[in-house]
Amino acid sequence: MFDWGWVSNNITDEILPALIGHIYLSFVSVAIALLISLPIGILVSRYRKVYPPVTFITGLLFSIPSLALFALLVSVPGLGLGSTTVIIALVSYSLLVLIRNVVAGIDSVPEETRDAARGMGLTNRQILFRVELPLALPVIVAGIRIATVTIIGIATIGAYISGGGLGELIFTGISRNFPTRVIVGAVLATLLAVLADLTLLAVERYLRPWARTRRA
Amino acid sequence: MIEFRGVSKTYPGSSRPVVNDLSFEVFDGEICVLVGPSGCGKTTSMRMVNRLIEPSAGEILIDGEPNTAMSGTKLRRHIGYAIQQIGLFPHRTIADNIATVPQLLEWDKGRISARVEELLNLVGLDPDQYRDRYPAELSGGQQQRVGVARALAADPPVMLMDEPFGAVDPINRHRLQDEFLRIQGEIKKTIIFVTHDIDEAIKMGDRIAILQEGGILAQYDTPENILASPNSEFVSSFVGADRVLKRLSLLRVSDVELGPPNGDGLPRLSERMNLKDALSELIGAGVERGSVVSDKDAVRGTLSIETIQRLSHGAEQARGE
Amino acid sequence: MNSLLEVFQRPDFLSQLVVHVELSVVALLIGVAIALPAAIAVSRSPLASTIVINIANTGRAVPSLAILALVFPLLGFGFAPSLVALVLLAIPPILINASTGLMQVSPQVIDAARGMGLSDGQILGRIKLPIAAPVIFAGIRTSAVQVVASATLATFIGGGGLGELIVLGFQRNDLAIQIGGSLTVAMLAIITEVSFGALERTFTPKGLRIARKHRGK
Ligand SMILES: Nc1ncnc2c1ncn2[C@@H]1O[C@H](COP(=O)(O)OP(=O)(O)OP(=O)(O)O)[C@@H](O)[C@H]1O
Ligand SMILES: [Mg+2]
Repeated sequence: MFDWGWVSNNITDEILPALIGHIYLSFVSVAIALLISLPIGILVSRYRKVYPPVTFITGLLFSIPSLALFALLVSVPGLGLGSTTVIIALVSYSLLVLIRNVVAGIDSVPEETRDAARGMGLTNRQILFRVELPLALPVIVAGIRIATVTIIGIATIGAYISGGGLGELIFTGISRNFPTRVIVGAVLATLLAVLADLTLLAVERYLRPWARTRRA
Repeated sequence: MIEFRGVSKTYPGSSRPVVNDLSFEVFDGEICVLVGPSGCGKTTSMRMVNRLIEPSAGEILIDGEPNTAMSGTKLRRHIGYAIQQIGLFPHRTIADNIATVPQLLEWDKGRISARVEELLNLVGLDPDQYRDRYPAELSGGQQQRVGVARALAADPPVMLMDEPFGAVDPINRHRLQDEFLRIQGEIKKTIIFVTHDIDEAIKMGDRIAILQEGGILAQYDTPENILASPNSEFVSSFVGADRVLKRLSLLRVSDVELGPPNGDGLPRLSERMNLKDALSELIGAGVERGSVVSDKDAVRGTLSIETIQRLSHGAEQARGE
Repeated sequence: MNSLLEVFQRPDFLSQLVVHVELSVVALLIGVAIALPAAIAVSRSPLASTIVINIANTGRAVPSLAILALVFPLLGFGFAPSLVALVLLAIPPILINASTGLMQVSPQVIDAARGMGLSDGQILGRIKLPIAAPVIFAGIRTSAVQVVASATLATFIGGGGLGELIVLGFQRNDLAIQIGGSLTVAMLAIITEVSFGALERTFTPKGLRIARKHRGK
């Protein structure tokens, strides 16, 4: 059932490019999502009133099944098939988790700490960059972890709208009834997701030494 | 009556016993306080009575029957249990919390609700106001009261209480202690009461069992006798250098033979005061004697510092040293 | 707009909707039937619970498409293989939340219950499960939403469901079918999310709601 020969013959011109493409898609999406979520999260932590609408919209985006979101985005004039559309979808999936964790991270900073910083004469901007964000970092990293794992998973489906990546191997394998491609694609995607999960978990624990023994 | 007979406990994976050959009797209707430094095995000893912990050696008899005569769950339904952390069920109303054991014993509804009402009144919580509340809506002291009411629910002849007032502030603790003594005056349960606070032990106990490290019974006697004649270095240092004053606090002015009334200008002492407070009052006022009066202000006689001194000196002599 | 209405009147629209719901409901039920007893079984040992939680956490990281795709070489095409894959997807969130919820019940509360003479079964049924219920239902909700979403992918291994319409839309380059199918799936997912959220609130004992509010202050 599993054709090792195909693997060794196609490792450089098909498997590796798919893996690299997948990593690229995921990385770019998380990075863009973070650039959007940080300012929104900081804004929300200052103006609580905008939190409900923000979670409503991002929550709505998050709960749309991925194949449906891809299909809807493809039909938007000017987008069509391709990796840009996939990245837009992946970014929209990450917003909920990332914004929520940025807010939770800033919320987790004790009021006394903030007060002490103010008492020492730090400006609001200095408090944000020197006190709040560093202390919120472990929680933000926890959000990045969940978002990354989610995105690596959904990115496989992006291959259906020509986004490339490991999903490519899965879909062509199914349509050509060639199990080896399917298995290679699925196993690599799984390994990538699990590896990202464990790595970011290690980073999270490194940043939060007091919680090192237990997994949240 | 509860009887410990050569009870020992060694936890698995440890070589030293935490309770060592414990033998003593708790008499019906009395509060027996287990007291001692942290880790001396008080909680372990108490939890062996209702078999939350099984002893490694020895046995515990309740009214002459080994506590292993029935299943652990059945045994526990007939022994009240109250702990410092209270452990109220957060998802149940106060009434349902109190009704836990009666429900297990399948009392009928009317009897249960009457009992809940009775108990809430007993612990000083207005039933109409508190019956349908949830634990989170009560203060710490109120939760503690509910914990005691819950332990009393099925009217168990025996109660186990592990630092039941340990988690409340000192003022509330004194109130709860006084209230509980009043309640015990009515209900006369046989109680094992664990605390690490010697003052609480002296106040609450009809008898005190002082444990030392390793779960060894250092002394078992009434508070008066323990204060008057501690039997070892360990006990006398555990009860503290102020044991003479502590002992005075156990005696009331009305217990003392008073001198003849001699009314002029003496400070007034209520006959319900304890001797320690009376002494403090006299020293504070800078006088030798005070005039003892009843609740209704009738003069009973006079009390002098000398009399108090003689009484405490007697205590020293009673040690026979 | 007209062509969208036509999509909803297609005979295969209704039948695929039914298959989609069927796949999701059956997968979720089996998932609960496996995960909940498993969580209860390990709940008496904190070590076993922690191990199970960690394994399930890793299981959650596995992409849905990867699970479906891996089931295909093993079990082939069709409804049953899709169901197996969806059950595998349904289990981890329920397992994680049920184990965590049961583990979080305060030891003092359990000690008090034991001290009053509740049997192990009574402690589970009357104390632990009601207190853990909100967390357990949150896990079931996560699982349900994920199953409904992943059932869309069942079409790739011949399991049917609304994904069939979306794929048909792509193949025929028919925007109406593509959008009609997608909007229906999206609605289904949102309805699932909202109704399970309501269920979660219903099964949160009032005392716990009040406790949470008091802690929040
Ligand atoms: N389940 C257990 N397994 C092993 N050792 C235990 C266990 N429970 C208690 N111990 C040990 O037994 C000793 C006695 O514990 P116990 O709880 O009876 O003390 P205690 O007198 O009630 O102390 P405290 O005043 O601190 O409550 C302690 O050294 C404790 O560490
Ligand atoms: Mg103790």
